[in-house]
Amino acid sequence: MSDPFFPVLVLFAFAAVVVLALLFIAQTVGPKRMTAVKADPFESGNPPQGDARIRFPVHFYLVAMLFLIFDLEVVFLYPWAVSFRRLGVFGLVEMGIFLLIVVIGFIYAWKKGALDLD
Amino acid sequence: MDLDNLASLEYFYPEIILAGAILLVIVLDLVIKNKRVIGALSILGCLASLGATLQLYSGPSGFLFHRMMVLDHFSLFFKIVALAATILVLWMSFSSREVASLHQGEYATILLSSALGMFFMASATNLLMAYLSLEMVSITSYILTGFLPRNRRSSEAALKYLIYGGVASGAMIYGMSWIFGMTGSLDYSQIHAALFQGQPNQLALFIAFVLILAGFGYKIVFVPFHMWSPDVYQGAPTPFTAFLSVASNAAGVAILLRFFFPGVSQLGPDGSWRFLSGVEWPQFLLIVSMVTMTLGNLSALGQQNLKRMLAYSGIAHAGYILMGLVVLNTEGLQAMLFYIVVYLIMNLGAFLVVVLVANATGKEEIDGYRGLAWRGSAVPAIAMAIFLFSLTGLPPLAGFVGKFFLFAAVIKQQFYLLALVAVANSVISLYYYARVVKVMFLDFPEASDGRVELNPGAATLLGLLSVMTLVFGIYWGPLVAFTSQSLQFFTK
Amino acid sequence: MQAPIEYYLVLSAVLFAIGVAGVVIRRDVIVILMSIELMLNAVNLTFIAFSRFMGSVEGQVIVFFVMTVAAAEAVVGLAIVISVFRFRQTLDPRDMQLLKW
Repeated sequence: MSDPFFPVLVLFAFAAVVVLALLFIAQTVGPKRMTAVKADPFESGNPPQGDARIRFPVHFYLVAMLFLIFDLEVVFLYPWAVSFRRLGVFGLVEMGIFLLIVVIGFIYAWKKGALDLD
Repeated sequence: MDLDNLASLEYFYPEIILAGAILLVIVLDLVIKNKRVIGALSILGCLASLGATLQLYSGPSGFLFHRMMVLDHFSLFFKIVALAATILVLWMSFSSREVASLHQGEYATILLSSALGMFFMASATNLLMAYLSLEMVSITSYILTGFLPRNRRSSEAALKYLIYGGVASGAMIYGMSWIFGMTGSLDYSQIHAALFQGQPNQLALFIAFVLILAGFGYKIVFVPFHMWSPDVYQGAPTPFTAFLSVASNAAGVAILLRFFFPGVSQLGPDGSWRFLSGVEWPQFLLIVSMVTMTLGNLSALGQQNLKRMLAYSGIAHAGYILMGLVVLNTEGLQAMLFYIVVYLIMNLGAFLVVVLVANATGKEEIDGYRGLAWRGSAVPAIAMAIFLFSLTGLPPLAGFVGKFFLFAAVIKQQFYLLALVAVANSVISLYYYARVVKVMFLDFPEASDGRVELNPGAATLLGLLSVMTLVFGIYWGPLVAFTSQSLQFFTK
Repeated sequence: MQAPIEYYLVLSAVLFAIGVAGVVIRRDVIVILMSIELMLNAVNLTFIAFSRFMGSVEGQVIVFFVMTVAAAEAVVGLAIVISVFRFRQTLDPRDMQLLKW
């Protein structure tokens, strides 16, 4: 047993045994008295209102999609930031152009009313 | 020449102009409400970019941006093709009632972005660049396919296209990741060196190539990656269908040739290419080519919708174009380039007539063409006959010359079976093309059939395309010279 | 201790296969889009594994781009899904039969 990860394996096995044992004990030993209050869906202590599966306005999807795009554009800033000193002025200008293009897209979405949340 | 980022900009004007035009159009779209201005501006941007491209054609060749891209006659040829298609399609869009209802600024922006992606496809010499450019073209194509508002057919076509495209490009990048693992590089010339010096695992290499072929194949539309094309062609706005059928196809051929020729095969002293050993590529491509053209033509036979028929005929033509690849020599490649130009002209022409008829009758089915020659101007019917006979490959039209070169290249290398299948296919295709011509000239129009109107812009374009189809059928010398000059890959 | 590269390759091949299978057999467009994402993530894993074992950054660079492209594709896909959903209150591809052979 020279593997340094062996204790971790033991830990996992122990955790699994404990969890299963607790579940089993609760299932068999514990009393079962179902009442109407207990059977209710739990919503932070408040009585539930309406169906949980309501339709959201399409607008939310639009915002989510815009977020997805702009969020991932920003990913390119990280490698640039790491090698910023080596890239120098040229890198700065290049990233400026990149951001300009992203900002133009942003302005377009804004002007088109994609960001109005009412 | 192997330039770094800053020095490359000097040879990058066509792309810079096009990118500038895209940004300008999208910003002006917020301010200007006049649709004509936006369209004119886009065409102007394309023309400026075309000028810059032609100027570079007489200049030096070399690698740009640390070998991400290459500037050579081959890439410039496909840039010219992409720009020509974009300009003609924008021009065509002016006369389309379907497109007039769309948001012009976005339409033009996305179309130009697609053209920019094709620029990168033509010049990519790095797997990263190849993937990115292909996706740029794909994603813009998905958007434009689903661009018709409140049109169920268009949306569903876009969804199908997206799913097929997503899987195909996913498979392609997976194949690329294997190539990267086997060679340790994404750069074409380093991949080339690593594959020819080392002893790559043949099976892994074969699987990787087939996966990559899936990505390229769905752009060129050959079997078995053709399933999306009829639906998408039918659902998309017609001018964009025209664009898709010629430009996207050509760009796919560009990226395929660049990857398979300078990328993973070697040029022999006699002008033939020696492909990486282990797999019988000529046999493999031979079968793909034959199946593609046969399936395309047979499926086209029963189609009632003209756009769908042209989609299947497009699949068949992809099969013809692949014939040039089977022979693996310079002559075959040159015949491919020639055919791409010819196909661009005649197919755009045929789609222009489809646009005109749809404007007049709202119909894309063949019965919308009843007695087209006797309804208003006879010019569209005559032009359509020219384009369709040229697509069949009848002399003295451009399509005949294109096919002649392909057949000659194939027969010289003694692929008689392929030539025979191709000839049989041309005969089959005559049936469905001639059916349209028969309906246009020999059937009588009914009173309910709308008159086809011809505005000056559309008339000029129609005249230009049909004259070119006729001229290249008789006097093809300059085009041959241009294509043979364009077949120059920069690999040093 | 470092796991041999085969482990990563097998894992990514399995993920890729699950993605392809998901596209083929699942009957919900959203799940199909998710399966395509899974395929791309399998690719990312291959690139990262190769790149780590060969000590090159090229493979890691391409992952950034694959991620961005995947996001762009997902956004366009969702937009198209919404426009399809407007006509049919379903996302089952079997119901989309306007365009057939």
